Amino acid sequence: MSKLKFLLGLWAGKLSVPALKITHHNGTDYPGQLAVKFCPDFLKYIGRPKKLVIITGTNGKTTVNNMLIDILEDNGLKVFNNRAGSNITTGISTVFIKGSNIFGKLKKLDLAVLEVDERSAPKIYPYLNPDYVVITNLSRDSILRNAHPQYIADVLTKAIPENTKMILNADDLISGNVALNNKRAYFGINKLPEDENNTYDGLLNDMQICPKCAGKLKYNYIRYNHIGNAVCEDCGFNSPIADYAITAIDYENEKMTVEENGEKYIYPLITDSMFNIYNLITVISIGRELGLTHEELIKSMSKTKIPGSRHSEDKAGSIRLITQMAKEKNASATTRAFDYVSKIDGPREVLLMMNCLNDTKHWSENPCWMYDTDFELLAQDGIKKIICAGARNTDYRLRLLMAGVPDSKIVCCESEMEAATKLSYDKNDIICLFHGVDSTKLAMEVKAKILELASSKEGKS
Amino acid sequence: MIIEILFPEVCNLYGDLANIKYLKECVPTATIIETSLKTTPHFVDSKVDLIYMGTTTEAGIKLSVEALSPYKDKLKALIDDGQFILLTGNALDVFGNYIDIKDDDTKIDCLGIINTHSEYHMMKRHNSFYIGEFKDMEIVGFKSIFGHTYEDGNDQEGWFKTTKGFGQNPDKNMEGFKLNNLYATYLIGPLLPLNPPLTKWLLEELGEAKDIAFEEAAVNAYKQRLIEFKNEHFDAAY
Repeated sequence: MSKLKFLLGLWAGKLSVPALKITHHNGTDYPGQLAVKFCPDFLKYIGRPKKLVIITGTNGKTTVNNMLIDILEDNGLKVFNNRAGSNITTGISTVFIKGSNIFGKLKKLDLAVLEVDERSAPKIYPYLNPDYVVITNLSRDSILRNAHPQYIADVLTKAIPENTKMILNADDLISGNVALNNKRAYFGINKLPEDENNTYDGLLNDMQICPKCAGKLKYNYIRYNHIGNAVCEDCGFNSPIADYAITAIDYENEKMTVEENGEKYIYPLITDSMFNIYNLITVISIGRELGLTHEELIKSMSKTKIPGSRHSEDKAGSIRLITQMAKEKNASATTRAFDYVSKIDGPREVLLMMNCLNDTKHWSENPCWMYDTDFELLAQDGIKKIICAGARNTDYRLRLLMAGVPDSKIVCCESEMEAATKLSYDKNDIICLFHGVDSTKLAMEVKAKILELASSKEGKS
Repeated sequence: MIIEILFPEVCNLYGDLANIKYLKECVPTATIIETSLKTTPHFVDSKVDLIYMGTTTEAGIKLSVEALSPYKDKLKALIDDGQFILLTGNALDVFGNYIDIKDDDTKIDCLGIINTHSEYHMMKRHNSFYIGEFKDMEIVGFKSIFGHTYEDGNDQEGWFKTTKGFGQNPDKNMEGFKLNNLYATYLIGPLLPLNPPLTKWLLEELGEAKDIAFEEAAVNAYKQRLIEFKNEHFDAAY
């Protein structure tokens, strides 16, 4: 009966693919939705690839997934993947429907690499039985959906089969403790000279106690959130040692040293952001686990680019505009974005419009994430003015006041477009525009307005 | 004024600690004591004006219960004597009887100070906004929790009377619990910054200044939220 349900789901899903094409619908999820409707455990019966790597985590999973696929393909491997589809159960099911024959048998491919949403793990991992699960990191995400990182770690631990090998971040003690009984390999970035000054003391450390004895952890250094190296002075617990470690970074010559089993290899440094350097070592560690040589990885990595940034820069005369996406309701992403802007030299003005536009249609957005976010980073002399825009402008104002920003620097404005007119547009100003994912389209309109006003002001001066 | 925060190294989710940051802004002379899991709570041997505990992880609940268990009788005696205690989010569960985790039929035994138990469904998150009444105040807030709380008798007084949203559980109008001066609510996050009238009331109860920090900004945000929450097209549940 179950097999019959599976076949009905498979065929319904397969038939919907040309139907969607004919009707010009994109529907990356729809075939999978149909299949799961017929057969809720559809993935249990679908053909399994020869080797399966699943990539998950709070940040960086899409970047790692895309880079890894590029590198594997560059080395002649045929990779079954979901880079064009969604990363939840129905999206993964869609990929399998498209990649299998009418009996659910997969086409002959070397391996599959799938990016999977963390919360979808229970409905995917036990059925697909991955050879490797890679966790980039676990940090605070949507309070409404993901609760807290330890909750996600528990969800993953329960869902991961015991024969799966884990590839984990040695510098993240939350994801590093997932599925403790499984075989594991760690990647990480060893202590760098700049880590001497890295002692983050913000709101977002989700790993303050020892996972073994609950004693207070002492961090030797913290790069951001709880990402760093810690020791428990009560029981002697330490951060794990990375099997694949970046041991030196040469920003000037765009090179980094990767160490494995005491041997050193020089890789191209294709990014200068610490976030993405973690993504590079993640990709290297997966490549090595899959049997690629360092030489093959180095050759392919030099041809690779970090895909689409959430950050863009424009200029209008002497005025510089930095546009930065910070996922709405996400304290971790917003804190990182604020941290970046707080370190820029020069007179800055900030426009905040990260509220969730979709929520304003049917709900009143929960602002708790703002109180997990280090708005304190914006309380500095170099930031002359902060415009609070959108439905949550009054919440931004209160949070900024509590962060130590004087009221005289804060301007509130319900309309995002009107907010653009509240900036000063003084010579050499750096304008920082923060927006969320679902406000990207509106942010592009605001950005155009800012550039227009800046050009006009610069033209007159 | 002395405020003791219990276990901020684990009871720190969803911006809950902003409640104490806000009280400190209101009363700059206040002394804040942060008690960690492995130290003896300050209230055991010394006078504290307010004890506060915020939302934590499920592992944090177990650790908090373990850390407070040796002082359960002391806590009960303090509550009988009118000790002010504020609990937000699942800190309420730490003081309840037990938590029944329905997904895998496990149970976490808690302090048993509030006569209630909670039922969690770990793959079903409840998200809602909330309006309630307390004295002559309207209370606003948010819930993001894995379940609800169910009284184990009829001897408990609720804290807020619900006017929109969910009470202790979907069948109860009253939200949270009040035990003398112990106030516990399932509302998470910055309850006090979001509710300037409640902050004012609490400070008065604690014998402190009647002026609250950033009052005009806080009242503006509060009024705006009330308008949105009362929108008849908006359901409280997310």
